[in-house]
Amino acid sequence: MTPPPPPSSGSVAAMIRPTPQLGDSQINRDVMSVFMERPGLGWLLLLGLCLAGLGAGAVTWIYQIYKGLGIAGYAHPIFWGAYIVTFVFWVGIAHAGTLISAILYLFRAKWRNAINRSAEAMTIFAVFTAQLFLGIHVGRIWKAYFILPYPNQRALWVNFKSPLLWDTFAISTYTLISIIFFYVGLLPDLAIARDRSTGWRKVLYGALSLGWQGTARQWKSHTRTTLHLSGLATPLVLSVHSVVSWDFAMSIVPGWHATIFAPYFVAGAIFSGFAMVLTVMIPVRRIFGLEHIITNYHFENMCRFLLLTSLIVGYAYGIEYFIAWYSGVEAERTSFWLRAFGPYWISTWTMIICNGVVPQIFWFKWARTHIPTIFVVSTLINIGMWFERYVIIITSLSREYVPAVWGHYMVSIPELLIVIGSFCFFSTLFLVFLKLFPVIPISEVKELEIHARSHAHGAHSEAH
Amino acid sequence: MPTLVGVFDSPLDVAETVKRLKGRGFAKLEVYSPAPFEEVEQAVDPKPSRVRLFTLIGGLLGVATGYAMTIWMSLDWPIVIGGKPFAAIPPYTVIAFELTILFGGIFTLLGLLAVGRLPTLRLDPAYSARFSGDEFGVAVEVPERDVAEVDGLMRAHHAKEVNLVPA
Repeated sequence: MTPPPPPSSGSVAAMIRPTPQLGDSQINRDVMSVFMERPGLGWLLLLGLCLAGLGAGAVTWIYQIYKGLGIAGYAHPIFWGAYIVTFVFWVGIAHAGTLISAILYLFRAKWRNAINRSAEAMTIFAVFTAQLFLGIHVGRIWKAYFILPYPNQRALWVNFKSPLLWDTFAISTYTLISIIFFYVGLLPDLAIARDRSTGWRKVLYGALSLGWQGTARQWKSHTRTTLHLSGLATPLVLSVHSVVSWDFAMSIVPGWHATIFAPYFVAGAIFSGFAMVLTVMIPVRRIFGLEHIITNYHFENMCRFLLLTSLIVGYAYGIEYFIAWYSGVEAERTSFWLRAFGPYWISTWTMIICNGVVPQIFWFKWARTHIPTIFVVSTLINIGMWFERYVIIITSLSREYVPAVWGHYMVSIPELLIVIGSFCFFSTLFLVFLKLFPVIPISEVKELEIHARSHAHGAHSEAH
Repeated sequence: MPTLVGVFDSPLDVAETVKRLKGRGFAKLEVYSPAPFEEVEQAVDPKPSRVRLFTLIGGLLGVATGYAMTIWMSLDWPIVIGGKPFAAIPPYTVIAFELTILFGGIFTLLGLLAVGRLPTLRLDPAYSARFSGDEFGVAVEVPERDVAEVDGLMRAHHAKEVNLVPA
């Protein structure tokens, strides 16, 4: 269409477009090598292990669908057992990602960008895992759609006054917004991957990157979108676990009927989410040699968050006991007394020690910078937070107002298999993520690097 | 008209080049950058992104849907629950809140796609994989007689290379 440039423009005419040599940046190469390289033996073994666990869980679930919920350890009056415990656990884990991406973004905490991608991925996978339990717990899975307001002949609508329905809306919104957030952040990095891959990966990244080219108007909309999504996700993340807490707090069960539940659950969610990010990222960083991107400084900041949220959670534990005593309600007092000294004392003390006491080690700098210590403590917190939900749900339900209806619950083998299966489900998704998408938000890290470079350069040339 | 692409290392140089080119009257230009830089975006188009409008519309639509849906469905088959009115505002606020966020978020994504002109099936001929590395590209359509001048202008602002895009 256009003729070659006129010969008059000497220097330009002489130029031909060179074959695009990849003037590539170090960060591109570092991150690409993590997910573009062929998976190693360790990864395959881990995946195999996770798939085996997932398979065991899936088979157990099918068996449960066939036999009915009777195979779970549910016994009168405890019909919320390990499934709901694990559901709340995974919803809690899902809070770290959005906190890191949205709230820390709004606070301009730049250190977040080394970990936000993996934390966001964990958020999505944790929400998926949590949602599995809604299906597992309802028993008649083929009627699960009853929870949604769908038009039907009898004009039977759902009960919008029920916290369980608020939960449906909160969790679904959270899932969709987390996916959107994750995807928007991933978009420029997918274009980087598209430009540097071949074969099926090029097709995949090409389709997913939607033809992103990093034009000025794209970046401007992208920055705006990230800001708005952060603004939307911040109240959302605080609302989700508040709504989950209202599943309990709106009832009159002793041990549940407390106004502190919403902030208590949100703090606990952030606490457990950060612990999970540390538990997962410490080995990932080691295996993929990302020490220069995810530095000890990042881990130290995460530990500070753990310390803060541990104090909030510890305070909530204390105030729960105080209010139970101060209320003068006998059922409350008995319920809390039996939590600590009744048949479930092991769970209660596990929770208090793992969540309230052990994280206090992070007052010391050596603990916040000593990787094995961080790993052990974060793992203990994960365990402690599972038991926290166990304590809240099981001990409260087993000791309601009338001693005649007190009961005892123990996790059954099928429940245990399904719970283990859920951890394998989460790990499988995360392992696949590690080999499919950039685990570090490349563009964000690059932004800081180029800024530093060009401003140093700018100052240099001005000096001339 | 031929398209020239200058390759740059620094966003400051890119912003300066874009300002000069626009001042010279070359309006058909496109900047490719590996990361967002405010100075570049300001130079290309100082107006704020229209994504904000999408978020607002989505949010308002969400809050309206939330209240309308819950109230209408409660009145469609009225059942007294917990002695509360059929159209009980406090519990429905939770639903309205969640839908505000949901619709706001979805519309923001649509805004990104609409304003950022995505998806596109074909990449620009001027685009190159190096612009997702750590280099910047300024592509500008210039009349043939101005090619030499623009080439000089870009090089004066530390363009590493100036290439001609085959049409």
